[in-house]
Amino acid sequence: MSSFGFGLMTAAVLAIATVGFTMQFAVTNVLNLAYGSVMINSAFVGYFFNARGMNAWVTLVFGMVTGAVASWALNRFVFTPFQRRNLAPITVVIVALGVDLVGTFGLQAIVGGGYVSFRIAPGQEYHILGMFLSGMQLIILAICAVVLVMIHWLLRYTRLGKAMRATSANPNLARNSGVKTQMVISTTWLISGALCGLAGTIFAMNTGVFEATSAQLYIVMLLAAMFLGGPGEPYGAMFGALTIGLATEISAAYISPQYKEVVAFLVLLGMLTFRPYGIFGSEKTN
Amino acid sequence: MSVELSQSGQVLTATGLSAGYDGRPIVQDVNIEATPGKVISIVGPNGSGKSTLLKSLVGVVPVLGGSVRVGDKDITNMTPEKVAALGVGYVPQIDDVFPPLTVKENLEIGGYLLARRDVATRIEAVLEFFPRLKVMLTRKAGKLSGGERKMLAMGRVLMLSPSVLVLDEPTANLAPIVATQLLEEYIRGFADHGSTVLLVEQRAKAALRISDWTCVLGGGRVVLEGAPRDLEQDPVFVESFLGGGAARHQAP
Repeated sequence: MSSFGFGLMTAAVLAIATVGFTMQFAVTNVLNLAYGSVMINSAFVGYFFNARGMNAWVTLVFGMVTGAVASWALNRFVFTPFQRRNLAPITVVIVALGVDLVGTFGLQAIVGGGYVSFRIAPGQEYHILGMFLSGMQLIILAICAVVLVMIHWLLRYTRLGKAMRATSANPNLARNSGVKTQMVISTTWLISGALCGLAGTIFAMNTGVFEATSAQLYIVMLLAAMFLGGPGEPYGAMFGALTIGLATEISAAYISPQYKEVVAFLVLLGMLTFRPYGIFGSEKTN
Repeated sequence: MSVELSQSGQVLTATGLSAGYDGRPIVQDVNIEATPGKVISIVGPNGSGKSTLLKSLVGVVPVLGGSVRVGDKDITNMTPEKVAALGVGYVPQIDDVFPPLTVKENLEIGGYLLARRDVATRIEAVLEFFPRLKVMLTRKAGKLSGGERKMLAMGRVLMLSPSVLVLDEPTANLAPIVATQLLEEYIRGFADHGSTVLLVEQRAKAALRISDWTCVLGGGRVVLEGAPRDLEQDPVFVESFLGGGAARHQAP
């Protein structure tokens, strides 16, 4: 049952990260493999303020702002210029991979290779449904739940959210309906970037100790969760994150935790082989 | 038509229009004038540039030469969202709805440029016009039948009360009875109530029945035009479009 608790924590963080990741993919058609490096850079910005005495929970705001600005800038100054040149989609994927390496190892050059950790009290331990969860973990779960409900509200009930879904489904028709798709795309990068920054900072808090390359393999988990739910499907991302989070942590209880990403990778391979459009996606839309 | 869905029309004019992709023209030197209260149809064989012509009018395909005007406004190479804001409603041949969105959400996106308080009222008006959509508001557009989907595509465009309707093969893939109803009841109805309608249609006979003026496109140019009753007397037109020999009709 304790591995179920770990799985729940992993799933919660992964859900926020995957929803942002899949929103970027759905609305802007960019498979942003630099997502992990934006996550860890955001975490280090949060840590920078935390190490100088700021409350760890307040630093989440700085992580979100960092993720939002970095993601928006990546799209504006890196991905969009490449997309405008009408190159093959793989080109942008390779560019994103390059940005990921520069972002991760650039950060390492600045902060060094040592492990750091947030100054945050784990709080009282609670025994819930057979799981032992600290006060800090419960707050993280609550934050994740609130964020996911807000994303649901955004996508279903707001003008912006509907415009995002319309742009994702058919950008030309959205423009013919009067939607300023460029503005929608920029806003999507800001929102998904904020989710990326939040996920990165929470990931660092939850992990305990972290360093510049800690999120490097996280992209495998993200891809697995996204393809499991269906590429470009925010609700699929939530489902995929829950499944991958639980599967990797429960498997870690039986085999070495070092192989967590391997389990995620196997799920990814299985989905790509048998149902590449995911559980929530449809063959037609993908 | 009990509900006024469109504004009184504006004149849509294309003058010496050339348009295409990557600097290569698909349509060349086309002159068209669509006026309020009239249905102007464009017919022609596959690959003659009909869809490209319509797309260039609404800002989807770049205009390489000539001009496009709506009323007294030059809309040449204007972005599609600005063209929509000027009252030009465009229904593409395919991909004409947002499949993952519900019928109601599709209509809401159609009314994106309206004030928020007006959207619900406008949806009511559109549903009065297409009552069949009333019972499927929460259904995803991707699950609709061909006819229902086309009604939704029209309804989406009508949300902005367009003064000019640009319709690209609205009857494609529809059963003949549905196609006839769409053309004769709805599309002709728009024009009869003062809208300007520019229609691309594969079913030449049906198009002629509801049109006031018809242009024949071949090889990217207007090769023949006239009132339907005159075209029906033209042996070349009859041979090419009413007698099943469309493929042989090419630009001079």
